[in-house]
Amino acid sequence: MAYIANTLTMPVTGERTQPASDLDLARAAAAGDTEAFERLYEQHHRRVFSLCLRMLGNGSQAEDLTQEVFLQVYKKIGSFRGDSAFTTWLHRLTVNQVLMHFRRRGVKLEHTSEEGDFTNVVDTPLQSTRRISMVDKLALEKAISELPPGYRAVFVLHDVEGYEHNEISDLLEVSIGTSKSQLHKARMRLRELLTKQ
Amino acid sequence: MVCSQCQELLSDYIDGALELGEQINIERHLSDCEPCRAVRDDLLQIVHFSHQLPVQSPSTALWPRINAGLAELQPSFWNRSLRWLQNLRTLNINFSVPQMIATAAAIAIVVSTGIILSRRDNGTTPLSTAGITLSPSDPTPLSQADLQVLEKQISQLSESVEQRKDSWDPELRNAFERNLLYVNQSLAECRHQLSDHPGDDVSQELMLNAYREKIRLLEGFDKF
Repeated sequence: MAYIANTLTMPVTGERTQPASDLDLARAAAAGDTEAFERLYEQHHRRVFSLCLRMLGNGSQAEDLTQEVFLQVYKKIGSFRGDSAFTTWLHRLTVNQVLMHFRRRGVKLEHTSEEGDFTNVVDTPLQSTRRISMVDKLALEKAISELPPGYRAVFVLHDVEGYEHNEISDLLEVSIGTSKSQLHKARMRLRELLTKQ
Repeated sequence: MVCSQCQELLSDYIDGALELGEQINIERHLSDCEPCRAVRDDLLQIVHFSHQLPVQSPSTALWPRINAGLAELQPSFWNRSLRWLQNLRTLNINFSVPQMIATAAAIAIVVSTGIILSRRDNGTTPLSTAGITLSPSDPTPLSQADLQVLEKQISQLSESVEQRKDSWDPELRNAFERNLLYVNQSLAECRHQLSDHPGDDVSQELMLNAYREKIRLLEGFDKF
């Protein structure tokens, strides 16, 4: 496999060379330049895979979905006009692929159960000796993967990827209130999972 | 405010999404309630560290899989024509005169393709190009003599352009070769189609158009 280093350049003005921007690469890829497409892959595949992995909680499925995402990118890259950052466009495409994956598998994202979602501290007061050791990011990753899909999707989009509730509302086709509620429950469930570890 | 009320609002509180009044109520409660403070601190940590989670890498086998998938998606002649046209829309390029000529040639192929396909689907209107009239009912509209005339003209123009190429700057030469490649690929596709389906009037029409565009391309660059 011929991975190409990120430091490679491509001619832009004919006289000087500078690192190729995502837009340059996208345009070249849209014109059929497979090397440019491979460079886009090299630069972005980790973020795409990470998002898939955290949304799905399964490495094998995340790889399959990452593959689907990049094949979709290849098909649709001609429609990328550079109005937004390539990363934004790619991110949105990835999230849509994950959501389509959920729908194909009949996964309901709107988790409405009010009972037993997490333990209220009034029932089991948190003791200082059980405080979460957040230094262990692996534990946090594992706990995220154990969240129900609906909680996980909202949590990953909001707290990991930085989406706002109105954007999540549009993406997941739920109300903003539901998005906020799911996020809170996800955080409380994570806290519970982490204190058990 | 009791603990359960406080905890229900903690996420909004740490996200700064509460009204001032609710915020004051929560802070008042938190100042007196250690368990709720602990929950707040835990949630803050979760949010803080979630923002900093490292990116993960898939296995190295993923790119070869994707690459194999891409090979299956390689565009057909039709898709490539459309993609080329689509690219023109997105490119922000100042074309030189020869580039514009070549661009126009390629667009003409795309447009011709659309017209031919639409006419083939819709009716019996005869098609005319390069002085040769084609009818959907005519099984052999492109004769050997026609081809020989076109190829001779192309051969003469190619010879002339080849002589001029040495004086071109690299950018002009690249533009010419890129567009010539495109037209030649179109011709090759048409020949391939015709070898499988000799009576295919659409492929014959496309080939005529491709020849015509190649001549225009060569004529355009022959002036430089």
